Amino acid sequence: MRTSLAWLSLFLVPFVLHNDVALAILVFTFILGILAVSFNLIFGYTGQLSMFHAAAFGIAAYATDLSMSRLDVSFWVGAIIAIIVVIALSLVVGTICFRFRLREFYFAIVTLAFSEMTRLVILNWNSFTNGSLGINLTTTPTIWLPGGVVPVAGTRMWYYLSLVSLLSVVFVCTRVVQSWMGRCLAAIRLNDELAETLGINVFLYKLISFLIGNAGAAIAGALYAFYLGYIEPAYLSIEQSLAIVAMALLGGRETVAGPVIGAFILTALPHVISLSAELRVLLYGAILICTILLLPRGISGLIARPRYVS
Amino acid sequence: MVQLIVGQLLNGIIVGTLYGIIALGVTLTFGITGIVNFALGAFMAIGAYTAWYLTDGLGIAYPLAVPIAVAAVAATGLLVDQSLFRFTRNNLINGLIVSIGLISVIESVLLLVWTTTPKNMHYVLPGVINLAGLIIPKMKGVVFLVLLSVILSTYAALTRTWAGRAVYAFAQAPEAAMLMGVRTRLLQTGVVVYSTALAGLGGALYASLYSLEVSLGSSYILKGVEAAVLAGIGSVMGSLIGGIVLGVTEAVGSLFLPQAYRDAYGLVFLVLILLFRPSGLFGAK
Amino acid sequence: MFLEVTGLTKRFGGLVAVSKLSFGIVRHEILGIFGPNGSGKTTLLNLIAGITVPSEGRLMWKQQLINGKPPHEIAALGIVKTFQNPQLFAELSVTEHVLIAAHLKLKREFGLRRIATLMRPAHHEASLDDRVERVLALCRLDGVCDQPAASLSYGNEKMLGVAMALMCDPELLLLDEPATGLDHEETLNLVDVLRDLRNHGTTLCIIDHKVGFLGSLADRAIAVHHGSKIAEGPPASVLNESAVIEAYLGHRHA
Repeated sequence: MRTSLAWLSLFLVPFVLHNDVALAILVFTFILGILAVSFNLIFGYTGQLSMFHAAAFGIAAYATDLSMSRLDVSFWVGAIIAIIVVIALSLVVGTICFRFRLREFYFAIVTLAFSEMTRLVILNWNSFTNGSLGINLTTTPTIWLPGGVVPVAGTRMWYYLSLVSLLSVVFVCTRVVQSWMGRCLAAIRLNDELAETLGINVFLYKLISFLIGNAGAAIAGALYAFYLGYIEPAYLSIEQSLAIVAMALLGGRETVAGPVIGAFILTALPHVISLSAELRVLLYGAILICTILLLPRGISGLIARPRYVS
Repeated sequence: MVQLIVGQLLNGIIVGTLYGIIALGVTLTFGITGIVNFALGAFMAIGAYTAWYLTDGLGIAYPLAVPIAVAAVAATGLLVDQSLFRFTRNNLINGLIVSIGLISVIESVLLLVWTTTPKNMHYVLPGVINLAGLIIPKMKGVVFLVLLSVILSTYAALTRTWAGRAVYAFAQAPEAAMLMGVRTRLLQTGVVVYSTALAGLGGALYASLYSLEVSLGSSYILKGVEAAVLAGIGSVMGSLIGGIVLGVTEAVGSLFLPQAYRDAYGLVFLVLILLFRPSGLFGAK
Repeated sequence: MFLEVTGLTKRFGGLVAVSKLSFGIVRHEILGIFGPNGSGKTTLLNLIAGITVPSEGRLMWKQQLINGKPPHEIAALGIVKTFQNPQLFAELSVTEHVLIAAHLKLKREFGLRRIATLMRPAHHEASLDDRVERVLALCRLDGVCDQPAASLSYGNEKMLGVAMALMCDPELLLLDEPATGLDHEETLNLVDVLRDLRNHGTTLCIIDHKVGFLGSLADRAIAVHHGSKIAEGPPASVLNESAVIEAYLGHRHA
């Protein structure tokens, strides 16, 4: 109940907070929160360190824009196409990785390799993606409201759009985690050999969590691209993948919404502490190290009791 | 055409030894401590910048600057091991994450000290060798020979000395080695420090050939990991061979495929090996 | 023949763990497998359960070839194995372990409709709770059901392994040294549980060292040494065979 109230209060924030920069930070927090929460389904709950998440994020961004410009569809249709594209690719990557029973470290390396390969393709396919120059987005998503079709413009509208999206993703992940499937994922994370002898199809559930997680990353990618207004190959970079891991670790991988806290801290930090770019990177690295060594359960681990299995 | 290919072949071999020295560091660290030290690329950068600074900034003779740089990197490696890696032994995810955080820390410190301006060392050994019509810069040849001898001596040390065999024993069966009196903590620290020293050496030599920027290590660590996995974690000579295979493939491949795909070869190797022969080309089992 | 093993061989590199082993298990019987350490008993169970793939030979379950099937499929077909060294889900409680083991039961009861229950987690629990309680009580774990499994005594850890296997409603239960580490009372309880299981229709195949425990429980026994079968028959006569005594105790005692 406490958490529901917390979520509800977020809806009231724009009425109280009129600072546009602060609201923008929250918008980014929510969108990156989607990215981190969906990652955590794969990492925190199923125990697989996927370095493909940033790739899903970036592919969706490009796919949304490309669908809109080449197929002349709306943002929403474009986003759905992007999600389908990401799921299809994840199916291939995931099947390869999990069929071959890649464990922990090797799974991270292979997903990293696939991610880098995808980034290189996007970087060099200039006719399609404009390469390293990136794509400047001029269109905005539109929404049907009582009154007509309205473009999503202005921080406030983006605030509500991203918050609702985040809540939907958190809702889906919570449902999965609290169900029998969540138990299977926990079993896989903790002892997949035992899980297999108890009749759990480890390959299937790893793949399902990978698909759901990457679908979430795709949603984040579509939203992020159109909020920021610019897409570039760096969306798929290793740095982005690492930032996602950092958010999940910092926020706490034992709860569904914990990573949102991590997203908030990493997004807000550069604005709160005005440091030179180098010092910011230094701080980021230091935070990562301190978190994993001193605060392995993350910030939400301090507050919430872990719920592994319903 | 043939001459072009042979030229690229040689180039690839030389670059390959650089990959190989990093791969050696990766494979030793992973085999003994159970973690992959992704920060080795950053340690390489420390070695490179230190060597450059000593030579061009302080005027120390290059052949002296290199060992000093290596020592400096090793010292940093020791510091990092005792304060951080010590707590992540055999916890792969934690160690991975610490090493990744370390990259940010090291690179930003280097930036703070030396800024983003690319550094170029003056020519230490100008001139070229003419090898049957092929032109090879003398310095590249020197770098190749130095790295080759270091890797070979490491191999010899590991297989012929008592200390070396203790390392192997530990890698194969940690508990047994402990029971036999091998000082495991010392061993693990030693391996971490040694691999950072190797990376530092690679960097110091790199500085004599290429322009320096802070993120120079990032592609090398990736290539190092690729070479180590390709050869098989734990194989010393394999690291060298893996590195050379990778270097040659990239160099020769760049003649036929766009430059853009240069980095892709290693990735493709990586995926194929891990899927079909996870123990690597020379690995055990 | 419920389970039929023909010419089963497993090689690990140069080591032959199981060598041309052939035997059968009849429905409702309790088959005991004896053999000294390193004789290939655990490997044999791993082969049947699908954890390892045979190098040669055939495994027939209810006249169906099961070579190479993954463990979860074998479990779904009715064969469940416990582990010699108790395998647990670190951090989770005893009850949570048994709930995880209920997956097969859930799958069988609901089939694909279980996707619908993703939206309503509490709904299906009721039908399982009963069974969970009974299994826990049967294995004398109801007193510690909310404790983290890692804090259990060794004996209880083994019983938890049995409990999880029971939850899967096995037709053939493979037990790898279930009595090792149990004290006298726990062993007696285990014997009761296993006899009860057999009376309710489960077939058992048990490896153990405790000759007393297995000798009295098993209907039939086979002895294994260096991966090959060296004796077969009623437990008493198998244990008396010189080849078996030699395998366990060495030349002189035979």
